[in-house]
Amino acid sequence: MGAFLEDLPLWVQWVAKVAIIFGGLVGTAALMSLAERKVSAWMQFRHGPNRVGPFGLLQPLADGIKFIFKEELIPAGANKFLFRLAPALAAIPSMMTIAVIPIGTIKVGEKEIPFSIAQLDLGIMYMLALGGLSVYGAILGGWASNSKYSLLGGLRASAQMISYELTLILSILVIVALSGSLDLNAIVTAQRENGLWNVFTPFGALAFVLFTIASFAETNRHPFDFAECEPELVGGFHTEYSAMRFALFFLGEYCAMTVMACLNTTLFFGGPSVPLWPEAPWFLGILAFLLKAGFFLFLFIWVRWTLPRFRFDQLMRLGWKVALPIALANLLVVGAWVAFTTPKSS
Amino acid sequence: MSSILFYILALVALLGAAGVILAKSPMGSVISLLGTFFALAVIYLLAGFQFLAAAQILVYAGAILVLFLFVIMLLNLGAMGSRFELSFAPLQGGRARFAGAIAVALALVGLIAAQRTTLAATSAPAADAQAIDGLEGLALELFGRYSLPFQAVSVLLLATMVAVIVLAKRQRAGEHGEQPR
Repeated sequence: MGAFLEDLPLWVQWVAKVAIIFGGLVGTAALMSLAERKVSAWMQFRHGPNRVGPFGLLQPLADGIKFIFKEELIPAGANKFLFRLAPALAAIPSMMTIAVIPIGTIKVGEKEIPFSIAQLDLGIMYMLALGGLSVYGAILGGWASNSKYSLLGGLRASAQMISYELTLILSILVIVALSGSLDLNAIVTAQRENGLWNVFTPFGALAFVLFTIASFAETNRHPFDFAECEPELVGGFHTEYSAMRFALFFLGEYCAMTVMACLNTTLFFGGPSVPLWPEAPWFLGILAFLLKAGFFLFLFIWVRWTLPRFRFDQLMRLGWKVALPIALANLLVVGAWVAFTTPKSS
Repeated sequence: MSSILFYILALVALLGAAGVILAKSPMGSVISLLGTFFALAVIYLLAGFQFLAAAQILVYAGAILVLFLFVIMLLNLGAMGSRFELSFAPLQGGRARFAGAIAVALALVGLIAAQRTTLAATSAPAADAQAIDGLEGLALELFGRYSLPFQAVSVLLLATMVAVIVLAKRQRAGEHGEQPR
């Protein structure tokens, strides 16, 4: 078995990794739509969907079939090209960002295969560049719909995502400064060599709190879901969307949440490292990564069904006057600390 | 393979650039500009400049263009209608022709200069690429040799920011019937 796997050509490995990771991401997104309803039901003492398949596990499949067969509407006066383009723009960047997340290593015989689609030196730059594009789906979808609710939703989404992207990037830069690399693999390795996850260092803990807040805002999740808050904007930027195009927005949002959970795990919780057992076998590492990421996915749902929504001006005040200055100060102190503690190389 | 890709991308970039000028609505211009930025980023990737490509997407497509979109949506500059339309009005008139002639002449001078320098430097392109694209090399250049211009640029940005704030405030004061100071 081991020898057979070792002799496979490299491209088989690549195709298999892309299929597994990409399929896992989309599958997670689909399961999240079920988990959202199940967990909310559990928190509100209800049953949740339990008719389709055992425990309602086939519900996402049923939803998918429903979305495919529904009628698609394009509102009168909408820009057809942009209207069709926007859902894809919302979904594709967040799906592409999973490529650089190091989920662990697979050991086949003596060989170690990194379990991630790409190992880029500029992994974080890649993530930020693509993550910054996900705002286009919301802003163009809202604009092309030719509807005031959609337009307001799109405006709110873009304002919110621009504001919190700064905090997000600044808190990631703290980890970059501490580990001295933009490579996510190197960040994981640095945490393993230090024997300390970044979240347990003082700067890392502060960056973790800011990152988590900003990741909620970036993915338009409660308590910051102004882009689509029902009482004010009907459905926000996707009010006019129906059938599979609406499902693509949905899929994009859940994929973005999954990637944020994975990134949080990687940056602050050591990625695939098992706590207190550095020599753990490789499959436990992958299991540890999935459990940690799963916890953050649960946190997204937990917060949504527990906390009330902010007001839009409160959101902006929190972003610009509280989170951003703290993130800047944190980065400044970390920069000084790194500069004074690292020995001079030359 | 990569040269075919380059020609396709160059075509996309040029069409996008033309679209920026020719599109009837500002929204169409922004979408065309987005296409140009992406084509340029992929051309950088083809040439081996990963950092430049990522920075191009992050800064231009991810930040600056989103702000453009934001402003267009806020000001509601002309509805776009249900499809893209081109307008050749910006290309007509004597002034436009004069400006076009100057632009073409400048571009030609730039092309000739580029040709000369690249012909001279083909012996060591790989080392140059490393120096520009390696993050450490870039940082050393930026904060070492070009430290002063780099900081001067930040002052320029600050000045722009102050100017924008002053202009915006004056307009608002005028709206409320107060005298601008």
